[in-house]
Amino acid sequence: MAYKDFRDFLSTLEKEGQLLTISDEVKPEPDIAAATKAMSKMGAETPAMLFDNIYGYTDAKVAMNVMGSWPNHALMMGLPKNTPLKDQFFEFARRYDQFPMEVKREETAPFHEVEITEDINLFEILPLFRLNQGDGGFYLDKGCVISRDVEDPENFGKQNVGIYRMQVKGKDRIGIQPVPQHDIAIHLRQAEERGENLPVVIALGNEPAITTAAATPLLYDQSEYEMAGAIQGEPYRIVKAKDSDLDIPWGAEVVLEGELLAGEREFEGPFGEFTGHYSGGRSMPVIKINRVYHRKNPIFEHLYIGMPWTETDYMVGINTSVPLYQQLKEAFPNEIVAVNAMYTHGLVAIVSTKRRYGGFAKAVGMRAMTTPHGLGYCKMVIVVDEDVDPFNLPQVMWALSTKLHPKHDTVIIPDLSVLALDPGSSPAGITHKMILDATTPLAPETRGHYSQPLDSPLDVDKWEQRLRELLK
Amino acid sequence: MHTCPRCESKEATVVAKSPVEGAWEVYMCPVCIFTWRSIEPETITNPEKYNRAFKVNPDDIPSAENVPALPARYIK
Repeated sequence: MAYKDFRDFLSTLEKEGQLLTISDEVKPEPDIAAATKAMSKMGAETPAMLFDNIYGYTDAKVAMNVMGSWPNHALMMGLPKNTPLKDQFFEFARRYDQFPMEVKREETAPFHEVEITEDINLFEILPLFRLNQGDGGFYLDKGCVISRDVEDPENFGKQNVGIYRMQVKGKDRIGIQPVPQHDIAIHLRQAEERGENLPVVIALGNEPAITTAAATPLLYDQSEYEMAGAIQGEPYRIVKAKDSDLDIPWGAEVVLEGELLAGEREFEGPFGEFTGHYSGGRSMPVIKINRVYHRKNPIFEHLYIGMPWTETDYMVGINTSVPLYQQLKEAFPNEIVAVNAMYTHGLVAIVSTKRRYGGFAKAVGMRAMTTPHGLGYCKMVIVVDEDVDPFNLPQVMWALSTKLHPKHDTVIIPDLSVLALDPGSSPAGITHKMILDATTPLAPETRGHYSQPLDSPLDVDKWEQRLRELLK
Repeated sequence: MHTCPRCESKEATVVAKSPVEGAWEVYMCPVCIFTWRSIEPETITNPEKYNRAFKVNPDDIPSAENVPALPARYIK
């Protein structure tokens, strides 16, 4: 089912009625961001958008909202576009278990068509534009950034592919936000301790399996390329960079090769973030771009990010939930049923679990907070019974409203770590965290009156099937 | 040179011109690294109308927090 490249995926979206081409002239600002934000407000089944008539440009094409809905997420996995969310979660988890899938190496790639090494001007090569009004500049926020472990450079698994926000800050200069929890921050620290620049590649306009893998909180030594292969069910195609030993997604539209400058920090930001707040301005590392390649007439892919829900939330929803699910299952293999960590990248997570004894669910909540992703997120973990679907918020609210006793079931743990972008953290990066145990009390717990749960009339399942047939 | 709407330095320069001649220019400020396009709304391009909550004082820039922190060998 693998998509050959970005264009192949766009053409599938078009065939499935999930791509809207906008050929009326639009202005770079505010039209592209405004239209994309407006599309995000229109529900969970929206199409991608392709803008091909942008004021002042001759042949620029900009794709937005490419994975900004559940149908598009299903198509990313080669599933029917109407696949229910919970089914997408379990199918993703099944494929996650197929990791690692060996990669396929290629000698050449379509992005070799045009190569620029002199007088690079990113403002001219890329159709850049502002996303939110307070942004400090023009950002790249859906590019795959590739770097290698400096101390173990031969280790393919420790090569990282990640999505990081990047501000274009000069003709050949890009600012990047590698917060300490990110894998690229480990690589940068290794390089800076040696006094060396860190080679990096930025691949823009990729088919969606690698973007999904790059946005998944994998373990440090797990390869995103081997995970992209597992997601798409075929070896992932990569090609070597020319200035370093880095591997690049074969199907990229535009590739920027460069190096993170050791010891350099420069003012960056603010940027409207997935938390629905701006990040503030800080001093961050700089990438010097030495080589650019791109396909002829490249399609520039970009992502609107801001007040949830936007494309980001679809892009990091299931692939954040699944690693938490798998890591919780390692601790509690017979109990964990499903995990929904789709809200603000898992700052809130909902775990459905069986219980072995009273108090068990609270331990599940604490374990969620100590997973690698939970250390930076999982500010609030809601734990529900096995018969509550964590993806069905009315069911979750029912569990909270009827199973939770505030005196016994609210646990607050002080001063844990969280990502610094959490606007409520104080100081930035530190927050109390909370477990809400909305499971049914179990012995030796004796409180509450839960011995008469409501059942359904007989034959509801039979009728549901019959009604579905009648409604076809 | 152009005035930066955000930090009001006078040192901003043109970094790009529209491929269709005369449609717009992009400017960049070397002090606060703000970038803007000539045809954006005045709330972005005009120093007097730029959102005050997002103004930057050039004097504050050197003390902005380093993310990530610099290793000891680079700290002056």
